[in-house]
Amino acid sequence: MLTIPGESHKFCDGRTRRNFLKIGSLGLGGLALPQILQAQNQAEKLSDSEAASSSIPKEKSVIMIFLPGGPPHQDMWDLKMDAPSEIRGEFTPISTNVPGIQICELFPRLAKRMDKLAIIRSIVGAHGDHDAFQCMTGRDLRNQPPGGWPSMGSVLSKLGGSVKPDMPPFIGLAPKMGEMRWADPGKPGFLGPSHAPFQPNGFGKEDMILNEISLDRLRDRKSLLKSFDNFRRSADQSGLMEGLDTFNKQAFGVLTSSRLAEALDVENADQTLRDRYGRGSAKNQADGGPKLLDQFLVARRLVEAGARCVTLAFSRWDWHGGNFKRGRQDMPMLDQGVSALVDDIYARGMEKDVSVIVWGEFGRTPTINKDAGRDHWPRVSCAMMFGGGIKTGQVIGATDRLGGEAIERPVTFGEVFATLYQNLGIDVNKITVPDLTGRPQYLVDPGSQPMKELIG
Amino acid sequence: MLHRFIRTTLELSILVIALVNLISHSAYSVTQEDNGLTINWNQLENIQVLSPGSHGYEPVKEIKLVGSDARQQLIIQTRNINGHPMDISRLVSMQLSPKGIVEIDSTGRLSPVSDGKTRLYVHSPQGDIIKELSIEVAKAESTRPVNFIEEVVPIFTKLGCNGGGCHGKSGGQNGFRLSLLGFEPTEDFEWLVKESRSRRIIPAAPEYSLLLTKATGEVPHGGGKRLEKGSEDYELLLRWIRQGMNYSKPDAPVITDIEVYPKERTMQKDKGQQLVVVAKYSDGSTKDVTRSALYEANVEEMAKIDENGFVKIGDQPGDVAVMIRFQGKVDVFRAMIPVGAPVSKFPEPSNFIDEFVFSKLAKMGLPASEISDDNTFLRRVTLDIAGRLPTKEELSAFQESNSSDKRELTIKRLLDSEDYAAYFANKWSALLRNKRSNPKNKRGNFAFHQWILDSFHSNKPFDQFVSEIITAQGEVQSNPATAWYNQVNQTTEMLEDTAQLFLGTRIQCAQCHHHPYERWSQKDYYQFSAFFSRVKKKRGLVPGEDFLYHQNGKASAVNKKTGKPVTPAALGSAPMTIDPEIDPRTRLAEWMKDPENPFFAKTLANRYWKHFFGRGLIEPEDDIRATNPPTNPELMDALAEYFISTGFDLKALVSTICNSKTYQLSSTPNNWNVKDRQHFSRAYPKRLPAEVLYDSIHDFARAPSGFNGLPENYRAVYLPDDSYNKSSYFLTVFGRPDSDSACECERTADASLAQSLHLINSKELQSKLSLDTGLAAHLAKQPEEKDKQNVELIYQTAFSRKPKSEEAEIAHLYLQKKSILSESDKALDDNQRKELILKKRREAFEDIIWAILNTKEFLFNH
Repeated sequence: MLTIPGESHKFCDGRTRRNFLKIGSLGLGGLALPQILQAQNQAEKLSDSEAASSSIPKEKSVIMIFLPGGPPHQDMWDLKMDAPSEIRGEFTPISTNVPGIQICELFPRLAKRMDKLAIIRSIVGAHGDHDAFQCMTGRDLRNQPPGGWPSMGSVLSKLGGSVKPDMPPFIGLAPKMGEMRWADPGKPGFLGPSHAPFQPNGFGKEDMILNEISLDRLRDRKSLLKSFDNFRRSADQSGLMEGLDTFNKQAFGVLTSSRLAEALDVENADQTLRDRYGRGSAKNQADGGPKLLDQFLVARRLVEAGARCVTLAFSRWDWHGGNFKRGRQDMPMLDQGVSALVDDIYARGMEKDVSVIVWGEFGRTPTINKDAGRDHWPRVSCAMMFGGGIKTGQVIGATDRLGGEAIERPVTFGEVFATLYQNLGIDVNKITVPDLTGRPQYLVDPGSQPMKELIG
Repeated sequence: MLHRFIRTTLELSILVIALVNLISHSAYSVTQEDNGLTINWNQLENIQVLSPGSHGYEPVKEIKLVGSDARQQLIIQTRNINGHPMDISRLVSMQLSPKGIVEIDSTGRLSPVSDGKTRLYVHSPQGDIIKELSIEVAKAESTRPVNFIEEVVPIFTKLGCNGGGCHGKSGGQNGFRLSLLGFEPTEDFEWLVKESRSRRIIPAAPEYSLLLTKATGEVPHGGGKRLEKGSEDYELLLRWIRQGMNYSKPDAPVITDIEVYPKERTMQKDKGQQLVVVAKYSDGSTKDVTRSALYEANVEEMAKIDENGFVKIGDQPGDVAVMIRFQGKVDVFRAMIPVGAPVSKFPEPSNFIDEFVFSKLAKMGLPASEISDDNTFLRRVTLDIAGRLPTKEELSAFQESNSSDKRELTIKRLLDSEDYAAYFANKWSALLRNKRSNPKNKRGNFAFHQWILDSFHSNKPFDQFVSEIITAQGEVQSNPATAWYNQVNQTTEMLEDTAQLFLGTRIQCAQCHHHPYERWSQKDYYQFSAFFSRVKKKRGLVPGEDFLYHQNGKASAVNKKTGKPVTPAALGSAPMTIDPEIDPRTRLAEWMKDPENPFFAKTLANRYWKHFFGRGLIEPEDDIRATNPPTNPELMDALAEYFISTGFDLKALVSTICNSKTYQLSSTPNNWNVKDRQHFSRAYPKRLPAEVLYDSIHDFARAPSGFNGLPENYRAVYLPDDSYNKSSYFLTVFGRPDSDSACECERTADASLAQSLHLINSKELQSKLSLDTGLAAHLAKQPEEKDKQNVELIYQTAFSRKPKSEEAEIAHLYLQKKSILSESDKALDDNQRKELILKKRREAFEDIIWAILNTKEFLFNH
């Protein structure tokens, strides 16, 4: 894992090596280093006024919590107590603080915050494959334009750029997983690799930890580079050299200490708050994601620091067996993490600006199989949304008695994305991005409009 | 009824534009900072009124408006000190006497009030009358039937109702549908008037029609308020309903073209120009559609256009084109905004390229940078032609040569090298979609790549190269060009890639609807697709590979719009009759290489221009159309003609480009051209493409590459296909394309945080720098006395130049500082001390090499 070579006396802030290793489990590694360096960097930090100009209001952002594998909608937000026992499941519903809305007993904290949440019980149009694609793009895998559909984070990166010069606009927290399609933090598609998410736990992880050279040496190199790098920046009017300088600055910031590094490092956070989120474990669940509640907190810290879109994957929900046993383990954790996130964004007055969505790629079969599991069910699934100024305290859509079909207000992935874009101040009827053929592409599938129920 | 309409427009057409012009303009002056007051208004004389007639704009004596709908936009014009025409419409004031005959608004647009004659007096800002015109209004009370196609539909387009984001998208918006940009008025009429039990229009109470109340926002409308109640457009719609919602008679005149006046202007910064757009109809009539047309500038920062057709130029010099659209017809207004600097001398032109570029620069008042020095030239041209840094040997040979044609000889040497062929094969392999989408493609990938490389090496004429790909038959073993059809395996892809890659035409739009900015209809699309209708595949000799052949039969395709079959027709050409046994693709190839073909040579010439200059004469390079004009049209034409005249000789084209003084200009800006991004007054730095950067770093650091299944030292530029991107994080983050499209834009040079981190801090790079066989280890072993040469070697390999004294000084100080032993180290024995110093020196050299390859001077070709 992480090593920070260098002279030991540098670790003068009293942290032990063990602390660093823990931070390292988040992928960033103890790069948020001693205050001595922070002070040094303070002088170099770019002022906010240098922030890239953008068409998206800078305080608007989105957090996407992906539940890899397809969470059981009928055991979470849409319990079917009238269904026969081979369908009904083991859990019972509880009332929430919104009269008439009930959710699963394993979510007592969320039940107390239902007035701040919106649940969609009728997501339709899942293509049925095990991947994060639809939850990241709002699109179907079929008939993609050359290069593929970009994910929402990449679109925001393209349209808005960085809010702060030293913060990447799009950050994907998912680590590498056995099933890499679940680890997909959102691809840039036809927008190209410069709009790919920055992945502090994924492919970019290794580059974020000082490799084989000490921090002292990196600083020497940096000053050497500064002396050698005399090429006239003005010779380039395309903005590329300027961009390169900005990103180099970001990179050094990541490697020493910066807004990004600080936001990523939960050791920097209020530890009581961290406990409220529930911490969790960085260990991946089989071929799925980790149950790392720290990431919920990190996501909030990142959007607060200026990221426009943060995606993360929580646990592994493909419960073909032991659905209820797994539910009893994972759902209370999700309950705690999401509740803490709700409280946190309200406490910080971010509830109008940060949109959060919690969902998976599809729902699960009404009938419980012989292994007490449920199988894939793309016919219908659920989503939970909050923040972004949406109308909360409501349930949208309904399924039939067995939880097998949407019978009221079917909602497509595109509509959810249109709503998120709307929350971000982007008019999906107007804004386009050019694909590789130069065709202007709208951000959502034709006909997908922001959901009237959710927007004011 | 209809005849009256035609006659009315005909009468109107005589007098659409009025211009005040000067015969003599030498007697007064207009300065650059002109605000209208610096014009010597007293000396204006010999004023003429111009109006469109059979010979274009001609002098006329008076203006006549006939019918209640007659509108006329005036332009008052003079010439500035440089003799350039200049719009002064908004500097003068206009008065009518007697009043009540005609109205004129602040932009100079006339609309009739009642029958009679009046005079228009144009006043200078000082109040003097500088021009008067006679205006006659007739039949002011007479209204004519509104024509749905020509008058109602354009309103939907102008207001955005039928845009792709609103009712114009497939399936419409909230139940109401219009055809995209009004290309299908029959359908619009059906949907508007008849659909949903005609609920959108109430003939008995026209004002209450949903069509109007939604558009004006009286009834809640998802699209918001689009139309002002009482506006001309509103009144027109209202009248159309009152008249009983007429469509248009089958023999009604149809629009044939639009024309903008003026076509081009040389303008000053922050100045304005009123445009007038005239629509022409099949019966010869014309109509002022200035307020119904849509305007769009190709460089938005340079010009803003309001809905009245008034162009406001910004503060950036350069060329800007305004695309004007009306009812599927397009025209372009071009403005050049000169820098206006003194331009006394340009380098002696090497060839026609320089003549056209320098003549444009002279017009622009934009001085060119100096010619680059030898070192810079060698690095630039080696990177551009061979995709690699010059070696130390190449550098010294070049420096030592006193030959006056050494640049020319270098260009020739590089073009003859295999590296040239490999570098361009790398470029084309991506564009030709040589993708490992399936492991079974592997043989084809290698064969196709080698075939491309060989083609460039032997300098196969480009028309033959393209023809062999497009008409490929057989299987990869005997004919590697068939591999193109492995990835390009749908008819739509075949025709779309052909059009975009070789003809610079993005015809994709026309699969489902008329191209919004171009003349291409669905008919054109399907006619073009018919060339590929007889391409068939069967199992080849090798399992998993295909055999491609022409299946005898009549080439045809079904036009999705009409459901009717169409026969092959090339873009903008008549349908061909092709015998069933002839492969229609051969006819397409013949059409493409015809010297008269307006697309083929131009597309390649522009693509190659961009390769060397970092920017096409037309941008994007594969979107060539009338409404996207080149920044230097004469040069674009000359370059294409030259390419044709050489028999499509690619090496000759590259040689001509690289031998031009324009190509050899320094990237160092002078006082005037730092902002130039359009006119090639200096070289524009380009970031090294992913593969070139990869190879350059390895060459520089003396490190072997590492590609799975390929020999050590295999160069990234020689990689056959995209499959190595997956295993090379480096190539991925630096934007090596995945061969997903025929667009050069798939290759991106944009910077990103991931790139920076990778160059600054990757294990991959650090391990290459610290190799025992690497450059740092090698230099560290040299005695300290040789450090001067060591640092020179670093600079020469990376930058193709010697270090400046201060740069050498920095390196030396660094080496010294790093080699200092601490007190405790002094206790070591000699051998240990030697070892330690060697280690320290090696690290210091690693640091220097690291810093050098992170500089912009290294990362860019400049």
